[in-house]
Amino acid sequence: MVLSKYRLSALALAIAPLVSVQANEFNPDISVVLDGFYKGNNTALSEREEGFGLGHTELSLSAPVDDLFEARLTAVLEEHEGETELELEEAFLQTTSMPLNLGVRGGRFLSQIGYLNSRHLHEDDFVERPAAYRALLGIHYFDTGLRLNALLPVPFFWQIGAEAFDGGNFSEGEEDIGVYTLNTRIGGDISAAQSWQAGLSYLKNRQLHADEEHEEEGEHEDEHGHDEDHGHGPEFTGENLYIADLVWKWSPRGNARDQQVVLSAEYLFADDINEFAGSGDNHEGWYASAVYQFAPQWSAGVRYGEIDVSEPHEDHFDKRSLQETDVMLAWSHSHFSTLRLQYTHQDGNGFDAADNTVMLQYLMTFGAHGSHAY
Amino acid sequence: MVPMLTKRLILILLLGLASMPARASLQVFACEPEWADLVKTLVPDARIKVATTAWQDPHYIEARPSLIAAMSRADLAVCTGASLEAGWLPALINKASNQRIREGKPGLFFAAEQVPLYQPHDHVDRSMGDVHSEGDPHIHLDPERVPLVMEALADRLSQIAPELENDLRRRHLQWRVQWNLQKARWQKAAEELQGTGLVVQHADFGYLLRWLGVDAVLDLEPKPGLPPSASHLSKLLAEPELEKASAIMIALYQDDRPATWLSERTNLPVLTLPGTVTDEHQTLSEVISHLVARLVAQNKTADHNG
Repeated sequence: MVLSKYRLSALALAIAPLVSVQANEFNPDISVVLDGFYKGNNTALSEREEGFGLGHTELSLSAPVDDLFEARLTAVLEEHEGETELELEEAFLQTTSMPLNLGVRGGRFLSQIGYLNSRHLHEDDFVERPAAYRALLGIHYFDTGLRLNALLPVPFFWQIGAEAFDGGNFSEGEEDIGVYTLNTRIGGDISAAQSWQAGLSYLKNRQLHADEEHEEEGEHEDEHGHDEDHGHGPEFTGENLYIADLVWKWSPRGNARDQQVVLSAEYLFADDINEFAGSGDNHEGWYASAVYQFAPQWSAGVRYGEIDVSEPHEDHFDKRSLQETDVMLAWSHSHFSTLRLQYTHQDGNGFDAADNTVMLQYLMTFGAHGSHAY
Repeated sequence: MVPMLTKRLILILLLGLASMPARASLQVFACEPEWADLVKTLVPDARIKVATTAWQDPHYIEARPSLIAAMSRADLAVCTGASLEAGWLPALINKASNQRIREGKPGLFFAAEQVPLYQPHDHVDRSMGDVHSEGDPHIHLDPERVPLVMEALADRLSQIAPELENDLRRRHLQWRVQWNLQKARWQKAAEELQGTGLVVQHADFGYLLRWLGVDAVLDLEPKPGLPPSASHLSKLLAEPELEKASAIMIALYQDDRPATWLSERTNLPVLTLPGTVTDEHQTLSEVISHLVARLVAQNKTADHNG
């Protein structure tokens, strides 16, 4: 009797794949993200120009490769000055069966420093990354390299990780390993309704001194300056970059379906920005953001951020700063479509492009159901 | 001398690490409380981390740090599957990097893979709402399917922890006897409930209602997974099918405003019921008994009034 019942379910199992249209071994998960916007005015440190435009159009393929590896390919199409560019944002393998909760990732991928950096842009709550990310990380830092992560065997969440990168996407240079990073995260629940995560990251840029000509590129349309404009390397770098991040989430009884509050903040600090840099000559940036999802399909948020950077001129530095406030309202009809209205206010000192603007953005996702990190 | 000492220290450390997973008790990660109940029945001293509660929508959980930590230590993860947890479980599994718990490995058990599902689809696109091509995953209140899941779970646990097999087979047998006794009672109630109708929200209770012969005449959701909208609710008001419903049934985790709105205009009572085990109803059969009792009571009032 027991056995026959089991056979029945086994039979059902055997039939199931025939009627299922799920991604399988012959058919990787494919997902597409369309990002389009209208922007009222140009703003400082922004790659989105005024008028109608397309943001990050993303095509992603992923699948388990075998029982040891899975892999992902993400290509990004972006338009700049009338030209469409194809960019490889991710092309990596990830181990899935390492002992001791170890994980190795190799290839092209998003660095895990900070809270936002490892997330895809379409997961953000605001149209653009905070000014601190745009200035100090080139919107988001991804590169070709190797990562090792470990979860420590403690009763709470504690992850440590190290990455080594080519560094070519951070600044130009000859080093084989131009950038390495260290990262640690801890986190847990405060109650059924509240959870948190905190992280510390360090990024070492070993090819800083090859980087000095970058500052000129804003004025000269040379072949590198072209790259500079859309996130292939931050405008403001230092030999050392430190990031601290903190996230807190609340939802009634932990039910994030109907309501959720997310508070997050990050602080970025870069020093040793060149050989003449003294103790006060560094880059600094932070932001704090509050997003309230007040109904299943609606969320509203406010974010404030600042950057204070030192622009090298020969042997002295010009201080520049930017303050940015964003207010946004987003409507997500389903998990896969979002319309967002955002107002951004900028005050700049040394950033002539600082302005106020209204932005309207859509994000449409189709294909595989992506699952999001915390 | 010093290198010797270092070597020995490293050896001790490595041995320490290696011996850590040697379990004092089985560690289990349960995506939903109903599966935790089944595991507890078979292995009472298992250490179980439950990812959700009856007050949470299991579609919308976050891969938060505490869950990653629990998943990273677990010997077995028991989840519903059929894409119910598609929004968070893959991220959780990846972050936890636990070599025991991966798709296709014995450490990852999907209840929905053990039974045939209601309404699998050949063609699914998102304009249909959150429809799972595999079929309806909310199987945990089905008097027929739960025993099949339990049986497969007992097999899986025996495979993972062979030393527990004798005990858990015995407990499984006891459980099945109890379940069948309860099922006979539910069957009686079903005779009373046969042919009655309810307005529902999402498919949470679908398998149980079909088994009881209760007709889910209308759904507050315009499409599966989409929250009830004002326009859809007004459309429901005009539905002739509404006549057949004697109550509006929603789950604890659902926002009761849409149901209340409809209730105020139709005088249909709202039944807010646990969709899974809670502190009050600690086992699946208690939950089903509670649901059945509430429906029967509701039916009597409706008859009385009607």
